[in-house]
Amino acid sequence: MTKNNQGLEIRELITQGNIDITNVYNKKYLSNIIRHPRSQRPGLALAGYFKYLERDRIQIFGKTEIGYLNQLNPEERQRQLTNFFTHKIAGVIISENQDVSQFIIPSVQSYKTPVLISKLRTSLLVSRISTFLYRQFSKKIRVNGVLMDIMGIGTLIRGDSGIGKSETALELVNKGNQLISDDLIEFYLNSNDEPVGRSIDRIKKWIEVRGLGIINIADIYGVGALMDEKKLDLVINLEKWSPKKKYDRLGEENQYYRILGKDAPMFTLPVAPGRNLSTLIQVAVKYFISRKNGSLSFIEHIYNQDKGK
Amino acid sequence: MIKREIEITNKLGLHARAAAKLSHLANTFNSDIFLIYDQDKVNAKSLLGILTMAASIGNNITIVAKGKDEEKAVNKITELFHNKFNEEN
Repeated sequence: MTKNNQGLEIRELITQGNIDITNVYNKKYLSNIIRHPRSQRPGLALAGYFKYLERDRIQIFGKTEIGYLNQLNPEERQRQLTNFFTHKIAGVIISENQDVSQFIIPSVQSYKTPVLISKLRTSLLVSRISTFLYRQFSKKIRVNGVLMDIMGIGTLIRGDSGIGKSETALELVNKGNQLISDDLIEFYLNSNDEPVGRSIDRIKKWIEVRGLGIINIADIYGVGALMDEKKLDLVINLEKWSPKKKYDRLGEENQYYRILGKDAPMFTLPVAPGRNLSTLIQVAVKYFISRKNGSLSFIEHIYNQDKGK
Repeated sequence: MIKREIEITNKLGLHARAAAKLSHLANTFNSDIFLIYDQDKVNAKSLLGILTMAASIGNNITIVAKGKDEEKAVNKITELFHNKFNEEN
């Protein structure tokens, strides 16, 4: 169920990448393909060292590159640029609206590379590009469940159909938490290699409540009850209560849920009549936060007390 | 586990009402039932899940069922598809 993108047209980077492009030259090459999620600063390639220059990566000209080109004499500068562009570079972005009207632009039509001008400063530009491209290029997987932001913790609620995931989600929204998606969530790995879940456009904002149908969360709770995407921190696994199964009574077991090759901590909560699931989940999240911040488990607490005697 | 491929023959494809009928039917069985379309695999008991597939007439869908009543489940679901979700004559 994984999806892999083979490449991305530069055009899509402009329209969806949020990188504040102010000018585009060589528009007919906007269909050039980027095949790598990271951008590249050409640096020494402009001085003739091409060993690590990769044509499939988007090339960013920051202050360093433009500054270096500016101090070369015009013939040398033209020679270096021609050499650089003969490498069939997919695309070039110049940051901070730097003025390149004296070079690059006059000869731009002889290159097969689109040249874009962005008003963002270089570091921000690089980070926006990698955020966007990692999302596009990452392996993706669709998972059944509900993803919520509960007190800042990205929580995935899993469990068999009919166990009450959607109703629990509704209660949690009622208590002021935010919903990313009900039912199906698409996960990808971000530039820090962490799983991030987002809603699928077709069902974004919608939640199914048996007896009412499919209701629009934004209409009822306002847009503040929704969130576009969230990094996964914790998994809550809901299970039908079975008298035969042994549940963790002391909180000693560490369970994990594997997603896109990463392990997320998981609690399994048995579901039985009379258990208030949304409160239990909120407590589970608070417990998770307190453990992460170093508070002791019950076993550790007893052990420390006994040692003190 | 049973797998069966089936073609969507009703005009509107797996639109909201058809999807509701399908998930309602799937919920009457104990088996785990999944639908596979393109590269997506969704739980047949989940209405929103089915709707994300946006499958239309002429598309092929694979039904996968696993459990005690898997055979009955696949048969009944196939029948629903063949009957064009009881919406056309």
